[in-house]
Amino acid sequence: MPHNPDRSLERVSSFASDRRAFVLGAAAGALALPALARGSLLAAQERKTKHVVLVAFAGGVRTRETFGAPSNVPTLEALAKEGVLYKRVKSSNLGHFGAALSIFTGISEARGIRENARGGDPTLFEYVRKDAGLRASDVWISTSGGAQQTNYSYGLHPDYGARYGANTVDGDGLFNAEFKSILEAWGRPRALPAKEAELLGRMRGAIGGGSAGSGEDSARVEKYILDELTSGTADIRGANAADAKAIRVARNLLVLFKPKLVSIVLQQADAAHGSYNGYLEIIRRNDEALGELWRAVRADQELRDSTAFVILPEFGRDADLNSRRGLDHGDGSNDLEYVTATCWGPDFARNRIVEEDVQAIDVCPTVCELLGASATKARGKRLPKLFA
Amino acid sequence: MPVAVLVLSALGCFASALGGVRGQDRTTEAAPARALDDAALRAACFDLLGRPPLEAERTAWLGRARHEFLDHWLGRRETWSQWVEEQLYYFFLIDNFRPENERVGELPQLLAAAKLDVRSAIHRIALSPSFDQRNPGADTFVTVVMEQLNGLRVQKNVRELEVGKAMYDGHPGAFLGKSGATQADLLRIAIEDRSFVQQLVAREYRRIVRTEPDKTELALNVRRFQRDPAVFRALLREWMLSEAWDARVRSRTSAPNRIWIAALHVDLLGREPLPEESRRLRTALDGLSDTGPLRSVLARVLIDSGQVRLPEKAQIEDPTQWIAGLFTRLLGRAPSPAELRTFVTVFHEPECRPHTVLYALVTHPEYQTY
Repeated sequence: MPHNPDRSLERVSSFASDRRAFVLGAAAGALALPALARGSLLAAQERKTKHVVLVAFAGGVRTRETFGAPSNVPTLEALAKEGVLYKRVKSSNLGHFGAALSIFTGISEARGIRENARGGDPTLFEYVRKDAGLRASDVWISTSGGAQQTNYSYGLHPDYGARYGANTVDGDGLFNAEFKSILEAWGRPRALPAKEAELLGRMRGAIGGGSAGSGEDSARVEKYILDELTSGTADIRGANAADAKAIRVARNLLVLFKPKLVSIVLQQADAAHGSYNGYLEIIRRNDEALGELWRAVRADQELRDSTAFVILPEFGRDADLNSRRGLDHGDGSNDLEYVTATCWGPDFARNRIVEEDVQAIDVCPTVCELLGASATKARGKRLPKLFA
Repeated sequence: MPVAVLVLSALGCFASALGGVRGQDRTTEAAPARALDDAALRAACFDLLGRPPLEAERTAWLGRARHEFLDHWLGRRETWSQWVEEQLYYFFLIDNFRPENERVGELPQLLAAAKLDVRSAIHRIALSPSFDQRNPGADTFVTVVMEQLNGLRVQKNVRELEVGKAMYDGHPGAFLGKSGATQADLLRIAIEDRSFVQQLVAREYRRIVRTEPDKTELALNVRRFQRDPAVFRALLREWMLSEAWDARVRSRTSAPNRIWIAALHVDLLGREPLPEESRRLRTALDGLSDTGPLRSVLARVLIDSGQVRLPEKAQIEDPTQWIAGLFTRLLGRAPSPAELRTFVTVFHEPECRPHTVLYALVTHPEYQTY
């Protein structure tokens, strides 16, 4: 489906009032914070960075195919030249789910490879929402790996949890032609007259003693989903379609909502198990899609001087090809356990290469600090030599 | 067998015997043991069939003994089809990875006819090409086998992982204490191991009863299963006749998307969703951490689509009864006096349509639990 610029403008306009509501809500929330968190928030307010895009370039991606062959990843290369490149980031082979979760929690924790459950530790989304008093609409995760990845949105720690979770959208699961066709067959929900809506609210409020909640954020998310379904995201095709949708969703979220934190979790590079060439193609296409996202940020007056990118794989892959001429992940090699991280943003150093070892779990406290939060349970520490 | 189960079984036999001598006039009979009310019937249907009861099933089963219901449905293909679906979801063999071969396709029929036990059924699933494709490479495959089939953390069992990976690649070794030299050997050893039974019985108990199994009872049931895997059907029956399951009926938890989709179709359209309908909706809902907003949208879209048959407002002679009926049918419980009072008052407002009442119930968070 061709992109309709008029439709986009209409949506931008309709979301503008939502945006104002978010800002007012965040300001009100900050006043209620404890002193320590308020201190972090004040420090963050002095920085230029107001938005962070954290990309788990996941699915298992070796440095050999990225910065070892820069022609595959011109976007990452360009970001690194204008930012900071960490050449030795220690990761852990905890399975894709566990390793990506470690980036978000700042704790290397073994999780079942097909475990469809939340972790016990708070995620950076929860830290940021709690400490900075952000609404759910200000913190998003865009994924490509289906049901399991919705567990990244929050953990089960009693001090944090669902009330501080991020909105998670799996682009490929939600914005696909099949789902769109169902909605087209059923039609759109009928707009309720004001009086009927009020009556509906009274009945809903009466059920179970009134536990339905206000639904204000929910209504915004409902509208976003329905609008996104008609924007062309559902029609993206190609070897990296799921990853490309995750990046496209993040781009639209950034431009429309201007959230504080958007995380993207890619996954399709894992095709490497069966096809090295397919894996390479996905890396190239994902780099290209990230390039579009970067251009969209730089073209946006509000975002271009206030947005930081942090991009890293959750782990690498084996040093040698398997018998199917693919690449598994389990040999314990440096190719598997060390990845490269790229950081770009208004407060970061430019064209700096950091040779010393850092850890993937350092990303969580770093992003939290950027946004004025404190990752109190994380075991990583702030990435060194990051700031200008 | 635990004492409680023996007592329940005896009660079941007693009720069954009563059923055998019952005459035409049911009003003269004592109520059956553990008679199915709306809440228990809805819960039992969710647990065995993955959906609420169809209207004809409500009519047929309300007020009858729970053991009769179990004896009927535990021998039916529909029950085992749902059980297989649960297993496929557990192994994430969904969407593109769903096994479509005949050996997996015939599992529900074989399980219903007791021609195959659940261990052999899972073995077939794990041997399917889909399982291999879903878990590519030695490290992933062996990790999934150890974690999902045997409940073992690979980080604490590094030696077994390495032996398993070598066996996957065709090298001989001793995995979980047994010799093998192929990927098929690896699976066979994993599934024959006691840890597989322990993992299966415990996770199935959690799925049905929603609590952790008592350790002594779990050990006993694992031994029973090891002696004869066909005992699994009896275990399901015992669990659903237990007091712990009574507590499960009273407690509600968020319904998985696939269950909610089936409930919406049965409750609003009077039919189960087609597999393709279910898959498309489930995939979309699975892509959200908070499915509440999209579930509300979908419920309203379906009600507004014209496919849901609702009476005209003027045709509803007794709104109190109609609304109370919707509560029991959709939420599995009677409305409280306050709920009923509010709904009936609102219903009499000219702007309230029957659709509005239905919106209120199926978009409420309580409807999204089961």
